[in-house]
Amino acid sequence: MPDLDALKAEAKRVLDEGIVEIVIGFKAGDTPLHPQPAFFRSAAEVDQLVYGALCQNNLATYLTRQPKTQKIGMLVRGCENRSINALAFEGQHARENLYLIGIPCEGIIDWRKIVEQTGEEVISVVEQSDNTILVEAMSGYYTLEKASVLHESCARCIHPNPVSADVVIGEPLPEGNPAMAREKVEAFAGLPTQERTAWFRQEAERCIRCYACREACPMCYCEECFVDHITPRWTESGTTPAGMQGWHIVRAFHQTGRCTSCGACERACPMDIKMTYLTEKLNDDMRQKYGFEVGMDPTVPPPFSTVTLDDKSRFVI
Amino acid sequence: MNLILKKDELNTLLTAWRQDYEVYAPQSLQKFTHFLPLQDGAEPAFNKAHNTRVPPKALFLPTSEALLKFTRFGGYEQVPTETAPRLIFGIRPCDAHAVTMLDTVFEQERYTDPHWQARREATVTIGLGCHEPCQTGFCTTVGSGPFNHAGLDAILTDLGEFYLVETLTEQGGRLFSQLDAASEMQAAQAYELQQAAQAGMPIAFETEGLKQKLDQNFVSPYWEEVSRSCLSCGVCTFLCPTCFCFDIVDETQRNERVRNWDSCMFRTYSLEASGHNPRPSRVERTRQRLSHKFTYWVDQINQIGCTGCGRCVRYCPVGLDIRAMLRKANQLPSEVAHA
Repeated sequence: MPDLDALKAEAKRVLDEGIVEIVIGFKAGDTPLHPQPAFFRSAAEVDQLVYGALCQNNLATYLTRQPKTQKIGMLVRGCENRSINALAFEGQHARENLYLIGIPCEGIIDWRKIVEQTGEEVISVVEQSDNTILVEAMSGYYTLEKASVLHESCARCIHPNPVSADVVIGEPLPEGNPAMAREKVEAFAGLPTQERTAWFRQEAERCIRCYACREACPMCYCEECFVDHITPRWTESGTTPAGMQGWHIVRAFHQTGRCTSCGACERACPMDIKMTYLTEKLNDDMRQKYGFEVGMDPTVPPPFSTVTLDDKSRFVI
Repeated sequence: MNLILKKDELNTLLTAWRQDYEVYAPQSLQKFTHFLPLQDGAEPAFNKAHNTRVPPKALFLPTSEALLKFTRFGGYEQVPTETAPRLIFGIRPCDAHAVTMLDTVFEQERYTDPHWQARREATVTIGLGCHEPCQTGFCTTVGSGPFNHAGLDAILTDLGEFYLVETLTEQGGRLFSQLDAASEMQAAQAYELQQAAQAGMPIAFETEGLKQKLDQNFVSPYWEEVSRSCLSCGVCTFLCPTCFCFDIVDETQRNERVRNWDSCMFRTYSLEASGHNPRPSRVERTRQRLSHKFTYWVDQINQIGCTGCGRCVRYCPVGLDIRAMLRKANQLPSEVAHA
């Protein structure tokens, strides 16, 4: 865990010195399981800043909602930093307007897993130094292994460290094992087609079309999403199998070479729909076929965003 | 009428009801519960003080439903509504209360929705009171309560080995006619538990004068402040038992006119054909959501359009809490000085 005082001090400094106009971070939520994204405008406000494993949002999603010319400070973990790099490549902000306060990330807790393990209402959660969390619930206390409540995307995270932050608070963590991410992809790819179809349908068809996944995703910033497009209409807008499958498959494909595997989509979903099994496959293809990892190097364009005159597929030009 | 239902006799009763009704009860779907028709051998799944994820309004207003079917040469046929008798077992009082509020929308004198009406008339609802306080709910704040009777034909109180059944309508009475009456002591025990449950749900914000505050502060930095981290997704409205907005779309490839849930939090909700959007940002959309529930609905039916189920609090992806938003609204100035 990074030192909260050091985080606050840095956030205050950049606000005080006028390096940024706002700092985007987290503040304590009104319920114990949900710290809230917060926008700090002055050093005094920064006193409210909190940081912990329950901070489940990818803050980069707010970047495209702020004025492009605004000087923004942001707390960034590995995935957030990479999302920001990907957004920079897509011209969504100017890197020089950002001040990134990096945090090596030990993983985000999936609050649903806490509720599942305790089976009751939670009053407070305290992270302890021995990789456990102490949960106070209605009928008493539970000590849970942090590893058992980590969000799946974080359990298989490859890059926990910020890659291009202006400052990093805390010691860098060891990189994750890419084989772990592969394992998951290969296990799914190895299933018979019928089972994969059944899984996809079971997940997609639980959808209520609230688009929390889209809004939570930093890369979903289109002013008009394909599902909202009316002429022509690309997919059914209701909760028919065709509509729900259409949304989930096209949403995933639009993430090719852009998704940083942060898992914010799954954490936002009110219906607990799994989505990263699709994007992880695309990310794996990007790694295997093009040696590309989203946002690792802001100067390397994503393979699907480039075209050259000697491209062996001539269909583009 | 107070009756006693032993828990080990519940399944016999549910099976008997299934002769006459399609019985819906909360059942596990993935890791949460959902109102689904009971099948042979299945038992209702009651989470501890937790509601079903999707509110049972969906049983009356499905997420998507076909209203009309187009025929060739410009004609159309109305799609008939299923009206087989249904029984909803284990609905929580906040959700049942919410359905009665939606009646005022879908069963207005001059504009009655035939689909809603048919489903309502075909449905009996048996509630299960909440004897354990829930953390995100605030039913007692908004005029509902853990043992509220609104919209129910009977309500159950969980007394451990058995349920105390209070029948509230004639239909409810008929369903439980085989049961023995509760003793005075049992009734007293249930009453005590209900009182404790009520006390376990403290008032979350002040509702007195809230409408006036929101009205008077229609233009206020307050709205920007409370909506800053809002993602403008549809979680709060779709999981809300009193939100009823819908959108009508022609699915021409299937020759159907379909009604889908819609949300005032969506950009497209208020987008006009000209391209103008009177609610262009999450600030105006948040104001609409809160004002609809806490001022417009009060104007229209003199009730707050919220029953305090707490789903919007529990599932908001960014942890926004309507209770905190309204506590802040309580602090707004009463009279705004006009320049």
